[in-house]
Amino acid sequence: MKCSLCERDGVSGLCPYHEAAKARVKATYPLWVKAYGGMDWKDYLDNVKRNIQTGQWAKEIAQFLKGD
Amino acid sequence: MNSGYTLVICEKPDAARRVSDALSGGSARTEEVNGTAIYRFDRRGEEFVVCAAQGHLYGVSDPSDERAVYPVFDVEWYSSDLLDEDSANAARRISAVRTLAARASKFVNACDFDVEGETIGYNLLRYACGGKEKDALRAKFSTLTGEDLVKAFDEMKPQQGQGLARAGRARHAIDFVWGVNLSRALSQSALGSGHRYRTVSIGRVQGPTLGFLVQREREIREFVPVPYWKASGTFEKEGKKFTAGYAEDRIETKPFAGNVRDECAGKEATAAAVRRNSVQVGPPVPFNIGDLQKEAYRAFGYTPTRTMQIAERLYLGALISYPRTGSQRLPPSINYMRILRGIGKLPQYSIYADELMKSEPKPVQGAKSDPAHPAIHPTGENQNRALDASEATVFDLVVRRFLAAFGPSARRELTDVSLAVGEHRFRLSGGRTVFPGWMKYYGRFAGYRDVELPPVSEGDRFRVVDVVVEEKFEQRPSRFNQSSLLEKMEKEGIGTKATRADIIATLVGRGYVSAESMEVTELGLSVIEALTKYAPTIVSTQLTREIEEKLEGVESEGAGEASLLRETVRSITNQLAELSANEESVGREIDSALMSAVAKSFVLGKCPVCKTGDLRVIRSKTTKKRFVGCSNYFKGCRASVPLPQRGTIKATPKACEHCSWPIVDVTGGRRLWRLCINPECPRKRP
Repeated sequence: MKCSLCERDGVSGLCPYHEAAKARVKATYPLWVKAYGGMDWKDYLDNVKRNIQTGQWAKEIAQFLKGD
Repeated sequence: MNSGYTLVICEKPDAARRVSDALSGGSARTEEVNGTAIYRFDRRGEEFVVCAAQGHLYGVSDPSDERAVYPVFDVEWYSSDLLDEDSANAARRISAVRTLAARASKFVNACDFDVEGETIGYNLLRYACGGKEKDALRAKFSTLTGEDLVKAFDEMKPQQGQGLARAGRARHAIDFVWGVNLSRALSQSALGSGHRYRTVSIGRVQGPTLGFLVQREREIREFVPVPYWKASGTFEKEGKKFTAGYAEDRIETKPFAGNVRDECAGKEATAAAVRRNSVQVGPPVPFNIGDLQKEAYRAFGYTPTRTMQIAERLYLGALISYPRTGSQRLPPSINYMRILRGIGKLPQYSIYADELMKSEPKPVQGAKSDPAHPAIHPTGENQNRALDASEATVFDLVVRRFLAAFGPSARRELTDVSLAVGEHRFRLSGGRTVFPGWMKYYGRFAGYRDVELPPVSEGDRFRVVDVVVEEKFEQRPSRFNQSSLLEKMEKEGIGTKATRADIIATLVGRGYVSAESMEVTELGLSVIEALTKYAPTIVSTQLTREIEEKLEGVESEGAGEASLLRETVRSITNQLAELSANEESVGREIDSALMSAVAKSFVLGKCPVCKTGDLRVIRSKTTKKRFVGCSNYFKGCRASVPLPQRGTIKATPKACEHCSWPIVDVTGGRRLWRLCINPECPRKRP
């Protein structure tokens, strides 16, 4: 099965690289909530996607999770 | 009684000329043998002939040379011209040595005294001189100055143990069987996916090095930054303003950052603590090759390969000592005073050299040593030719580092002030050099900056002018650059001081990483992914490091290479079994990245005519000639230009500033041309 975001093979719709990036995006959400004193999941994904420090695979995952 | 001459074998032509000049006092005659320059002279009633290799004249290969065949464990040494068409000179040089050896009665190996030099000399003595590798004498030197060369030849001795040559030959054999077998296995796997043969190469040190790069690349691409805040305040005392950062460098939450601003604005601050500290900063240790490469990268942005090449040229010009050394130590035997006197003749260093010679000079020594050579140092010889800009900068760095090693410790005064505003603390830090010591000699490379603070005592009061809070985000990890990768390889104990820079260049050449940013390509990612899954030992540092340690054992003991080769064969056999068992999966993993890399290599840049298509290298089915055409041909774009029919064409990221067509690099033999591919480019018109 191909990854939904690239040409690599994946097990559950994502390749291991994007799977790892997805885990990272999810794990970082509570840290953003704490840092801002609260933040909506969609706002978080928007911010992650826009941030210049975010890695390429994490950006692609943020967009994918947001359903754009 | 044999009446032949003494045949001296040097590593490079420049070294042969210097050896001849030194031993003959400048009276050596230059002759030509089989198209190669040699030197002939008499010394103390004995006739000498000096000839030179040009790097390695022999290399390892497998007798079958069938690229589809593996495993290959029977390897032989061949003259380099049979292995590489760029080494055509090797046959001529070998033939010259063979001709000269026929009339020689004594042989001297005067190649550089390290693993590679020993291997070069050993192979020539063995294969071109009819098995003289054990009978030859060894001349050992660390600089090409006349004085050192004469001393080396006066003190030359029969070769003992030949550990360096044994280790060097073993390293060549191990690296060959490692690289050829695993590369062929990978290439065959990719071939199994249905495309035509493409070489996918991996080497013993390349694998783990690419592994470091891939690991970092993954960290970068998966990175999600976490926000934090930084606060700083502007404070005023007696009309003077200065800025101090909040004591906690990183404020974790936005609400707390807001509190800092609100609770400090318009308040008064008190100097709660003032700490003054005087610290001694010792001189930097003398350069080994790794340190020089790192410092040249930091100071001038030179890649390790470039620094090595420049240092080699300075060594061959007898201006600095042998650069491929691991030592950070300067023994008294190099004669500090003689070198300082020599350096003192150069106006830019004369004050410093005179100053250091007023008392007995004693350098700081580093922890690392090398039994063959001292740390890199200037020789003190006169410059016999003008240096180009890059040579001059590296020479200046080497001289200043040498001078700095003799300098006393510098003293810096550091001041740390804690400013209290209620519960909040701000920190003001400054520092200045009160005694420059060695920094004076090291000049612009010393890298310490003075930050002056106003006079402050405990209890002094300040007005808080304002407090600024900034939102920040964690920075993603940086990619390795050529210098930091070299450092990582050194720390992990893989590769040698002589080979690390070349291995990095090879990874770039194979298309696994980009030269500019060291970003790993899809091909690099796929190769490491496949290897990690099916043959993890190839990318682990452990096995490579163990082999390096055992090779060092061969160097020092002059034995053990046979068992090391057997171990390597066993290890490779195991890795190949794993790769073969999973050939189909390995092929699938590499294939798409390989095809995309191949497709990319044909694209030279964007089409300046239609603005949307890619200009690609195409080979005509009828004429078989290559040319450039636009990918939008079937949509009507007829942009097309001819290409040079010889040499390799590589895309560059640049477009011509006159016509916007791509600029390409064309390499043929050892030459490189950079040109705009548009024959109608306005710049080309007369």
